[in-house]
Amino acid sequence: MNKLALVTTLGLTLVFAAGCANKSVVRYGDATAVETTDINFGSTDLQKVAAQMTDSLFLSPVVGTLTQNTRPVMFVERLKNKTSEHIDTESITDSISTKLLRSGKFRFVDMGRVEAAREQLKFQHDGGMVDPSKATQFGRQIGAQYMLYGNLSSIVKSNQDKTDVYYKFTLRLMDLESGLVEWADETEIRKTKAKESVGW
Amino acid sequence: MFNSKITTSTSKKVTSSLAMILLSTMVIAGCANKTPPVTAGTGTSAMTQGDDFSKHLEVHNADLAKRLFISDVKSRKSNDLLEINLTLTSRYEKSQKLQYHFNWFDEAGFVIEAGKTPWVPVELHGKQSTTLRGLAPNTKVSTFSVYVREIPEKAYEY
Repeated sequence: MNKLALVTTLGLTLVFAAGCANKSVVRYGDATAVETTDINFGSTDLQKVAAQMTDSLFLSPVVGTLTQNTRPVMFVERLKNKTSEHIDTESITDSISTKLLRSGKFRFVDMGRVEAAREQLKFQHDGGMVDPSKATQFGRQIGAQYMLYGNLSSIVKSNQDKTDVYYKFTLRLMDLESGLVEWADETEIRKTKAKESVGW
Repeated sequence: MFNSKITTSTSKKVTSSLAMILLSTMVIAGCANKTPPVTAGTGTSAMTQGDDFSKHLEVHNADLAKRLFISDVKSRKSNDLLEINLTLTSRYEKSQKLQYHFNWFDEAGFVIEAGKTPWVPVELHGKQSTTLRGLAPNTKVSTFSVYVREIPEKAYEY
């Protein structure tokens, strides 16, 4: 009985001591879970924006007609970041174009890699190492028919108790031949940060 | 073809002494580490059109399931992609901060784009109902499941 009491006391002491120890722990988390670490543009916002925009694009009747028998060729122009914070907008467009491409309904040309492709073709033709009959030909690439472009803007307001951030993301699809905007949509995100009176 | 379920963690019966120890551990741990939140939620299993929805409901978190209600599960093909609509209603008087996500499966039951569908935050005010919409990532999808769980108040664990 005495032994039990000793063990319990020891255990409790350990628990007490360990309870307040400040140790850092590394864990793997869910990459798609909602993240609310701070009010800045985060992974949840990026994923939400990308998912909503691709869903809206797929559901649009115009896009339904465009993709009925063909897979239109698109290119993504860089998104304009008009917010007050640094946001990697290429990451948003990457997510959107990857989703569109993986759906099997669209094809893409990558303007960011034009120079690299040109260098490779130059090497094949002028390097003297590639059999000319097997070199990939110049001037055979397919041009984009549609351009995706957009804006990301924000309104930030705060007082001593509360911060409110509003993001508006607009995306448009332009027919490059006619110059007509065939589809457009915007998505909004509101985030607030307030002081909690009781924290645990 | 669609499916749905609600998952909530069942409370376990513990002896009073164990409960005391657990409680004290939590109280003590509270000053340094916040207690991990219960994040189990609501989900669904394979279901066909016209099927009784409630049969497919799986509850893993009884507390959360008491505060939520899923109804009107509808599906259709939009531009060859499976589109899902369902109504999520709060039975609770206070606001609830929730997140939901869809899982997509092909005809053979294989998961499609595993781990890529994001959890979407949704705030339900007292007794409010909202419509959740999901769109399949590609044309192969034939069934789905949806999960709802709470957003942890403190972002410590996911």
